Amino acid sequence: MGFALQLLFTGIGVGSIYALVALGFVLIYRTTNVVNFAQGDFAMLGAFGMVVLAIDLGLPYWLSIVITLAALVLFGALFNFCVYYPLRNRSFLPVIISTIGASIFLENGVLAAYGPHPQSLPGMFASQGFNIGEVFFDSQYLLILAVTIAMVALQYLFFERTLLGKKMQATSQDKEMASLLGIPVASMIVLTFVYSAVLGGLAGVLVAPILFVSVGMGSSIALKAFAASIIGGFGNVTGAIVGGLSLGVVETFGAAYLSVPYKDAFAFLVLFVFLLFRPQGIFGEKIAEKA
Amino acid sequence: MRSTINAASVALAVTIAAIATTAEAADTIKIGMVAPATGPGAESGRYQTQGAKLAAEEVNEAGGVLGKQIELVIEDDQTTNPGVVLAFSKLAGDSDFVAFLGPIRSTQVHAMAPDALKLGKPVMIGGTDPALTHMDNPWFFRFRPNDTYSARVIADYGVNTLGKKKWAIVHSTDAFGTAGKNYLVEALKKLGIEPALVQGYPNNSQDFTPVALAVKQSGADVMGTYMTFEPDQGIFAKQLRQLGVNITWVGSPTTTTATALKLAGPALYGSYAVADFNKDSNPVAKDFDAKYQAAYKASPDLFASWAYDAVHVLALAINNAKSTDPQKIREAILAVKGYQGAEGIYNFDQNGDGLHGYNIVKNNEGTIVYDKHIDFND
Amino acid sequence: MTAGQATAAASTRTSAGKHPLGGVTYLAIAVVAVGFAHFTPLPAYWLNLLMQASTYAIAVLGLTIVLGYGGQINLAQAAFFGLGAYSVALGTTTFALPFFPSLVVGIGLAALAGAILGLTSLRLGGHYLAMVTISFQTIMALVLTNWVSLTRGPDGVTGIKRPVLFHNYFAPSAHYLAVSIAILFIVGYFVWHLRKTKLGRAMQAVRDNELAAGVVGVNTYRVKVVAFTLSALLGGIGGGLFAGGFAYISPDQFTFNESVVFLTMVLLGGSRSPAGTVLGTGLLILLPEWLRFLKTIYLAVYGCAVILIMVFMPAGIWGFATALWRKLNPVRPIRPGAIPPLPLTEETGRADGSTILEVTGLAKYFGGLKAVDGVGLAVKRNAVHALIGPNGSGKTTMLNVLSGIYRPTKGVVILEGLDITNLAPHERAGHGMGRTFQNIRLFGAMTVLDNVMVGAERPNHRVAGKTAGLEHHALAALDFVGLVDRAHLQVASLSYGHQRLVEIARALAGTPKLLLLDEPGAGLNHVEKAELVSLLKRLKGHGLTIFIIDHDMNLVEQVAEHITVLNFGRCIADGSPSDVLRDPEVVAAYLGEVRANAAT
Repeated sequence: MGFALQLLFTGIGVGSIYALVALGFVLIYRTTNVVNFAQGDFAMLGAFGMVVLAIDLGLPYWLSIVITLAALVLFGALFNFCVYYPLRNRSFLPVIISTIGASIFLENGVLAAYGPHPQSLPGMFASQGFNIGEVFFDSQYLLILAVTIAMVALQYLFFERTLLGKKMQATSQDKEMASLLGIPVASMIVLTFVYSAVLGGLAGVLVAPILFVSVGMGSSIALKAFAASIIGGFGNVTGAIVGGLSLGVVETFGAAYLSVPYKDAFAFLVLFVFLLFRPQGIFGEKIAEKA
Repeated sequence: MRSTINAASVALAVTIAAIATTAEAADTIKIGMVAPATGPGAESGRYQTQGAKLAAEEVNEAGGVLGKQIELVIEDDQTTNPGVVLAFSKLAGDSDFVAFLGPIRSTQVHAMAPDALKLGKPVMIGGTDPALTHMDNPWFFRFRPNDTYSARVIADYGVNTLGKKKWAIVHSTDAFGTAGKNYLVEALKKLGIEPALVQGYPNNSQDFTPVALAVKQSGADVMGTYMTFEPDQGIFAKQLRQLGVNITWVGSPTTTTATALKLAGPALYGSYAVADFNKDSNPVAKDFDAKYQAAYKASPDLFASWAYDAVHVLALAINNAKSTDPQKIREAILAVKGYQGAEGIYNFDQNGDGLHGYNIVKNNEGTIVYDKHIDFND
Repeated sequence: MTAGQATAAASTRTSAGKHPLGGVTYLAIAVVAVGFAHFTPLPAYWLNLLMQASTYAIAVLGLTIVLGYGGQINLAQAAFFGLGAYSVALGTTTFALPFFPSLVVGIGLAALAGAILGLTSLRLGGHYLAMVTISFQTIMALVLTNWVSLTRGPDGVTGIKRPVLFHNYFAPSAHYLAVSIAILFIVGYFVWHLRKTKLGRAMQAVRDNELAAGVVGVNTYRVKVVAFTLSALLGGIGGGLFAGGFAYISPDQFTFNESVVFLTMVLLGGSRSPAGTVLGTGLLILLPEWLRFLKTIYLAVYGCAVILIMVFMPAGIWGFATALWRKLNPVRPIRPGAIPPLPLTEETGRADGSTILEVTGLAKYFGGLKAVDGVGLAVKRNAVHALIGPNGSGKTTMLNVLSGIYRPTKGVVILEGLDITNLAPHERAGHGMGRTFQNIRLFGAMTVLDNVMVGAERPNHRVAGKTAGLEHHALAALDFVGLVDRAHLQVASLSYGHQRLVEIARALAGTPKLLLLDEPGAGLNHVEKAELVSLLKRLKGHGLTIFIIDHDMNLVEQVAEHITVLNFGRCIADGSPSDVLRDPEVVAAYLGEVRANAAT
């Protein structure tokens, strides 16, 4: 029994990482209809930012987090201008490829600048975690779960209750109409990228103590997070969360009871099945095109 | 049109190269080396390059080879199979090269093997797949103990020195991990032991809870591991301790690298590992460590030590053979016995394997301490 | 052949840009290249480099088909490459089969896998399809690594054999390379030729506007499956040849990263042309060699370059070059009137009052919204029947149901006695239904002529002389709308009004029985509208039945003989223009606009 409970906790823990990264995807997709293949690299940048500030420069942990996230605000805007903006009127394909290029550039740029050695980052808490019965609760995983839930709540409040949030929603639903209503669409899009970058960076900061900091850390999470958000229902916040958590659990249980080497295949098999029979995911809306 | 231009430029390049090489007087002994400067192996490639260069400088200071200086020429193999083939064939195209240093990744050695066989000149390799010296290729000379030895040493140490009989084996599913697992199972079988658990995992796993739980459930009192990447090593070690598994650990060389220690921290304290290079294992190793630190401000590792040994042994062999004829060099290398290198004492067998054992080291509260060396002379 | 037909044929040949000399040049270059590879004593380095380049180029040509022509993203090309490679590898080692049978098996397996992947495209496109291909790629890489008993796992397969035909003729690398290059040229020709075939045009139509492609008669699903199958097939060929060339493969060569490499190769050179693809592949294999000095920052530069290419040179280097060439060397236009006219309808003028299209009880609900709620109408043969109504009354929905884009919630649609209610759009085109769209839906990257050809190539279009006959039809349709002199311009470069006419020509080229026009006057100025009216009258004169939606009452009054009025999804009036336009309910629905318009 303890066995299964441990797997459940870890599965949810891993899943919440996917969920947090998936949130970043959802937003950019809803506003610009673009899938950002570099989303995982925002997390990588956040993690490296922490290493440079908290470890190399020895700044206090909280201050490092603030500075890192602030840097990601700037980075998100830069990313928008370099990678998305020049291609905003083209079809989705050049944009996807552009984000793939951005991902390669970021990963190898950091590699060239920092070197290939993985780095470690201490967790938020001094203690690694605690036991309840046979089950060990890793404190960093608990933190990630808590932050993910908090982010979802905050995001809900922001988008549904503030004017700025509603403007961003409007932009994501119908750019033309929004612009006709006087909403500065280009600025909204910049904000979207900035928000996603910060969200990605936050995920990186939280995940780094568990997964260690390496240039490839983002891509492997991102691909699965993307799959999770499709399973949950693409373009849908609830979908991202549910998809992420379920994927984490499926993967962990699959590894334990079926096969560890094929662990990564489970995620993609589930995705495959969903794409064949229910492409809109668990919570998504039916995909249709206006004639 | 494109292919015609290509053809013309190729012809031109070949002509210029031909003229250039004949015009140049052969007043150095040229040794070629393929090493990764880009791709995932870039870091280890740097160590390899530095180790080889250090040895080349030492040889040249001591008078060189056959009265001439060694010239080491390095090509980037990009850590890919096609990359190593291209890098090697680029070097091989120049007939001035007397011998070569090949890759440390066994899959890459396999990739360039056909070209090496065709060329017929000695290639020093660092790959540990035993098949590399058992495939009718007389031109490979190995400067690290192959995987049968690491497995036998792990098994021998765990069973005979530490007295542990219930084994769990955790391994990466890549070439390195799978081969290691196979040899460890075989070595244990020879000692009359059937492992209680054999668990593979894919590289970059991010979470090792299922593996750690499997180890816990197996009731094993000792664990042999072949893990390729340090982050996996670190996460696994941490989660193992978190789940209260305090098992004796005898691991592959990755368990002792500086990065592994930094990432896993206390989770790896008290673990053992086989290590083909350890600075305290012999006087040459100690000396090499000091010189390397002085030159490069970093501690050398196995990626550097094998290349260092290879260049030295190669120089020795050429001097002994008194010629650069490939066959004579080959015979001279195989005649090397009792040579103390940084990795250990080289006694070349007919297959081209120079080393037949490993060091055992222990992680004492974060410091790697040399324990003993186990050799197999069968 | 009559003089007229001969002229047509002659101008066709020039206009289609077929140079008989082109084929000979290509063959000559191929012979030179193969001969060079075969006889020149190249150093091993160059042999290896060219071997990698040629086998990769074959695989990347597969992406030219599925991505460049078909517009479908395929991130699993390395998996197909791997299937070919492993088939040859295991075939010649484990199963002790000869090389060519192993290669054939590999090609077959890859094609099968491609077909399966294509089948998943039924309801998906865009990123979803991309994810399916990524999933397939990831699973395949895992299987190759972990199914050790079959694939030998991560160690890979050594000692792969080359063909033993003709006394080991292929053993020396120079000979093997020559054969690889020969196959590359053959494949390249096939891919280049594909663009000008019916299948090639259908693929490009799907790429440029999938919805319109279906309506115009392209079986979009089948085209996508074929595109994926061909792409995978070429990947398999490349992989098989690669394995034989390098004698050793391991699973880490066939991962997602490699698929990304293939993708960048096709984009760099230009995905829409095989020459561009080969250029891109060659560059990306040579570049790392030339850029060795950049070392660690090489890959960062590479990533940056991908972004820059997408932004500044989306058609790739070759596309950029050919666009420049075309600017300096415009194609010679065809003289108007040089094309003998053709009958544009299956029968001429049978205005006998019989019904060609009958709609009964049609309803389309979107959840709670009843866009069309119980509409019935009958379109008489050779009549011009208009459908009008205020905004949101359900007109376009109605048309979309008639086209087959939407399935009706209730009701029946009968075309000439055939129940077409549940037929797919391309099947309806096959029964003689043509259509234009409110927002012009042309195939932007194709020429005017190619656009219209797609219309001519609709299913069941019985025309004498196969492709030449269809092209004649297409040119005749263009001539009818007065645009034949622009046949070889890219359609996106035409003015809005002319694009509208091309869309009509596209529908006409299929010799339709019934032409559905959705707001054809939208966006046209006064002059253009007058031209449109006269065009419609000419069409009617040729015996075509026209069903038209429009807002402009002026236009409607001038052409329509019968008007149906919708409001809130229901039919509120149906009859002759004079009756309908005076109906008080209709007037009320338009709030008096009708009367005012009629006065002008």
